[in-house]
Amino acid sequence: MAHITINQYLQQVLEAVDNREGSFCAELLSFKHPHVANPRLQLSSPEEKCQQVLEPPYDEMVAAHLRCTYAVANHDFIEAYKFQTLVAFQSHKEENWALPVMFAVTLDLRIFANNSEQSIKMSKQKQKAALLWFCSRAGIDDSKKWGMLFLINQLFKIYFKINKLHLCKPLIRAIDSSNLKNDYSMAQRVTYKYYVGRKAMFDSDFKPAEEYLSFSFQHCHRSSQKNKRMILIYLLPVKMLLGHMPTHQLLRKYDLMQFADVTKAVSEGNLLLLNEALVKHETFFIRCGIFLILEKLKIITYRNLFKKVYQLLRTHQLPLDAFLVALRMMQVDEVNIDEVQCILANLIYMGHIKGYISHQHQKLVVSKQNPFPPLSSVS
Amino acid sequence: MSNRRTSRRISHSQRRGPPAGREWRKNQGTWRSQGETAMKEAEEEKPGCQEQETVPRGSCQSMCPLRELREREAQKRLHRFEILEGTEKDRRPRADPSRIVKEYSRPAAGKDSTIPTDLRPPAVLLKTVCYLIDDVAASPSLHPWTEVYNFVFDRLRSVKQDMIIQRVSGLESMTILELTVRFLIYASYRLCGEPLRLYDPRINDTHLQESLSWLLDCYATGAGPHPNQEEFQALSLLYNLGSTRAMQHAMELPERLRNSPTVSLALSISRAFLERNPVRLLRLSQKLNFLQSCALHRHLGTCCRDLLLIYSHGHSSRNCRFPLNRLAELLALERSLTAQLCQTYGVEVNQDNQVVFSKTAFTEPEQGKLHCELYHNKVAEKQRDLTVGSVIHGYT
Repeated sequence: MAHITINQYLQQVLEAVDNREGSFCAELLSFKHPHVANPRLQLSSPEEKCQQVLEPPYDEMVAAHLRCTYAVANHDFIEAYKFQTLVAFQSHKEENWALPVMFAVTLDLRIFANNSEQSIKMSKQKQKAALLWFCSRAGIDDSKKWGMLFLINQLFKIYFKINKLHLCKPLIRAIDSSNLKNDYSMAQRVTYKYYVGRKAMFDSDFKPAEEYLSFSFQHCHRSSQKNKRMILIYLLPVKMLLGHMPTHQLLRKYDLMQFADVTKAVSEGNLLLLNEALVKHETFFIRCGIFLILEKLKIITYRNLFKKVYQLLRTHQLPLDAFLVALRMMQVDEVNIDEVQCILANLIYMGHIKGYISHQHQKLVVSKQNPFPPLSSVS
Repeated sequence: MSNRRTSRRISHSQRRGPPAGREWRKNQGTWRSQGETAMKEAEEEKPGCQEQETVPRGSCQSMCPLRELREREAQKRLHRFEILEGTEKDRRPRADPSRIVKEYSRPAAGKDSTIPTDLRPPAVLLKTVCYLIDDVAASPSLHPWTEVYNFVFDRLRSVKQDMIIQRVSGLESMTILELTVRFLIYASYRLCGEPLRLYDPRINDTHLQESLSWLLDCYATGAGPHPNQEEFQALSLLYNLGSTRAMQHAMELPERLRNSPTVSLALSISRAFLERNPVRLLRLSQKLNFLQSCALHRHLGTCCRDLLLIYSHGHSSRNCRFPLNRLAELLALERSLTAQLCQTYGVEVNQDNQVVFSKTAFTEPEQGKLHCELYHNKVAEKQRDLTVGSVIHGYT
């Protein structure tokens, strides 16, 4: 591949097209394939040559692709991006067999966008346009819908990157209404559920989030350690909110020890440690976008702390002062008895505590049976 | 063809990109502000890079283009605030050139919005905005304020339009946006509760969010310094209380900014809201200044409701006796207003002014009731002797 002539290359493309060999054709147009390193193919004006051998739209497509290899060889990613978009547009005109081509091209497009430091918005516009073109050609033809999930996953990636999650909703609706959703490849479904799970997290729908992310984690290929870790980063906070703490082995296996202190703090009801842990790994948590979710663990931590107070005092009529003392010990700043009442009221409202506050007696009266129901049964 | 293209661009806010297609290359370079110079340079160097699209540059040195002045005069479409004194009763009132301002007009096919004599350059736009604030919005003699608001709102919209067409960026656009945002936030409080035909809070909100978004974008992409950034990051958080998007944006700000007293107070208030701790939230909000209180005020109704809801559950018992006075203190409201609020939510108050919380009694009132009105007096107290003008210019 690295030494063939331009004519040989074009012949190979022609054969692939004639025999409708989607995967092979995709390789010939993909930047993952060694042919792109071949200097004989890196031409700045290959149009005529391509036109001699290939029929439209392949002549233009391949010409743009070769100009792209030329640009990349010169480290001009802006030019590369420009030509890759031309390739992408041409690749949409094709039939089912050429879908692998479109996949490969779109993927390269996104990578070029990142490399050339273009505004992500532009690549988003491109992808959106691509999806719309694609869907407009799909019509009632089911076969086109096969490509939808791939494109939608690409769009998800971009929407998350530019923090415009609300744009995911119509895409999710489109897939949900499609009757093919369980027939896509596992890899694509894992990716899809990963993003939908993250979106659900963002919308505070923790039960569905747990479902999606668990599916994603379980069905993610064993060898994709990196992907499994990524899924876990979002699955862990959700599970913790539902009362399931990860083991140290799990955290160590996937190199996620940042969660270790958080886990410990939450299960012990140690607000001080929780705050410290959140601050210590702030950058990591914010970058992953889970900082705010982890803050929700505060409520669980309050619940665990107050449960400890209850277990220590061994009575069903707990003075509010005891909770105030507990909070002050955790160095929660500026808290007064009114706020303690408020926190307790909220825990009762959420179902984490069974009982009521007696303002006159300044006591929390808890149920004699199971006053602190298990976390998994609440919410 | 070019008319249509430009019209389409105007009708969107600046943040949406141009249409997909080969045009993107020509448009993108000039859309982005200073940050993306690398790409711009690359494009300019390229040989054979034809037709660099020219950005329209305004040349109109007055607040209103002469053509429009004549047109509106002839068609008797002058606003009452624009009429030359003494000519109001004439058959054809005359325009006062020192008070007439270019109005907003919807883009339409065939209408060219890029004629230089119709466009006001950035310096003129800034002068226009200052006129609108100082001489109209802050004027003690123009009444009623709903009419003042509608006039200023419309003329500010036209300013924004001129900014978008000319792709204004940098210091002028930021100052204009800052003034616009303060005006709209102040209006959201002052006109809260007015009848829909005079003031629509949703339209105000749309434009406020657009301007705020654009402004925060400018801060993120423009080279500093931005002396007012803390103020507006905080205002954005307060106005968008409860929005995870706004919180996430704030968390991603540089540490120095996040830890500034203004922003960190706004963050604490946001956290209290997300944790559902209305007692803490209301306590912290006492520290806000007038404009910040205006930004927050529309959420105070929800805070009240949250408090009554969780207390109804948390204190639910037949023997419950919670002093009304204490509740009033927590809500930072007068006793009579607190009693009124309880009634609205079905919360019982007995003859001894004790609240009897009960989780079954609590009911959501019918839609559309603006409980933030209860807080209007409290917010007004913070204004003290600040004039409208000083509020909008950012003096606290």
